Amino acid sequence: MTAAATIPNPIGSPPEPATWSLGPPRLLAAGYGPRRPYDRASPRVLSRDQLTRDVATVGLLGRGGAAFPVAAKLRAMPRRRAVTLVVNGSESEPASYKDRILMRHSPHLVLDGALVVAHALRARRVLVAVNDEPAAAALHQAVGHRSDARSVRIAGTGGRFVGGEARAVLRALGGGPALAPGRRVLPSDRGYRGTPTFLSNVETFAQIGLLAALGPRAYADTGITDEPGTTLLTVTGAVGRPGVVEVPHGTPLSVLLCEVGAAPGAAILLGGYHGAWWTGDPAVPLSRPILQAAGATLGAGVVCVLGPETCPLAELARVAGYLASESAGQCGPCMFGLPTVAHDLQQLVGGHRSAASDLRRRLAVVPGRGACAHPDGTARFVASGLRAFAADVEQHQMAGGCGRPLRGQLTVSPTWQEVAR
Amino acid sequence: MTRQRRIHVDWTRCDGHGLCAVLFPEVIGSDEWGFPVIDGRPLSPDEVIHARRAVASCPALALRLETRSVKQPARSR
Repeated sequence: MTAAATIPNPIGSPPEPATWSLGPPRLLAAGYGPRRPYDRASPRVLSRDQLTRDVATVGLLGRGGAAFPVAAKLRAMPRRRAVTLVVNGSESEPASYKDRILMRHSPHLVLDGALVVAHALRARRVLVAVNDEPAAAALHQAVGHRSDARSVRIAGTGGRFVGGEARAVLRALGGGPALAPGRRVLPSDRGYRGTPTFLSNVETFAQIGLLAALGPRAYADTGITDEPGTTLLTVTGAVGRPGVVEVPHGTPLSVLLCEVGAAPGAAILLGGYHGAWWTGDPAVPLSRPILQAAGATLGAGVVCVLGPETCPLAELARVAGYLASESAGQCGPCMFGLPTVAHDLQQLVGGHRSAASDLRRRLAVVPGRGACAHPDGTARFVASGLRAFAADVEQHQMAGGCGRPLRGQLTVSPTWQEVAR
Repeated sequence: MTRQRRIHVDWTRCDGHGLCAVLFPEVIGSDEWGFPVIDGRPLSPDEVIHARRAVASCPALALRLETRSVKQPARSR
């Protein structure tokens, strides 16, 4: 089932994840790389209605985490105003690497998708928000190799976790701080410098590039009826082969885990640190709509594996501490709530009797009370951890611990070196 | 079409002064750090008067009364 060799790193940057695919590679197929002259035919030119139809036919969902239907996002764009297109490549989740891989190794595909949308929406400006030097270098090189990318500008953004959120990116691009605004404004209404903006994740644009090149029929050759095509996953933690994997939608989770060499009985976190621990069917099909229906999320395609040799509560506490430190500090319930949650978790690890009930009470008031979804995501991650590791919670309360050390399998570092340790 | 009114907090402005919770305790509570806890349900016409008072007295100008037109009658959460 495995195909495609690991793609050599063209830039010569620090260690980066191994990259492979289950089944034939699409997003990471050779030919979209930055160096060689871009010899492929230009992407098909699609009208706005045609693009919206094609995107709706394959049920394309945004790949940044919220899994918002791309067709709905296209329909929301006004027709008679000058619009801006933003490719969000800021990838600020520590356990995610797939966007950087895409920009470094398939920059032309990302640009294809962006230019298809730009043409359909008649956008004059295309901004790519990047927070990674090799990715920016690859994109610059790719832009230089094509004649249709004159409207593209590559812009650097801040590196915090919460700085990657759509509206925070728009503010940073406009010259402001990389922080979500306090008032609800839709980017399609007022985005980059007040213009209506179509913003989506790097992988979303790469998928649109593929869709434009293949057409909806060939695009749906792989994947499942509910969700045709493939997705990129970053797999980290207690696995023999961590890396970025392209999988057809519908691939059973168990097949992925076998492929990456996860220990039997390992705990699985889906959707990263704003996601939830998966305790359901081990063979659940990896697909956003299916997981959503089961109350879970793939988020930005992050899968973390926790082995049985580390204390799961200590791992949770460490990540909660990191998430608290990543709070922008602009909303009280997040600024005060998250450190308290992290502290409660530490107390729980130490066997404090009342810590679990304090924690549950506090987790109930954190969500929905911030400018961005950082408090909501953090509460979801911790609450699902308490459910998934209920037996460990009990053991820590009864015996003051579980005797297992903290191995740091859940990374809190943005560099791949530490993940792949 | 019905019109629903809710209190919206701009969390980037709120400093937890706590006046809103004192003026309108029926709907606005406060957490252990003094920041408002508001249940998401739409306000009744009687409550809107109190809500306006709470909005007007916020020293940080963090509260807003939002009106939304909804197709179906509100379901209470």
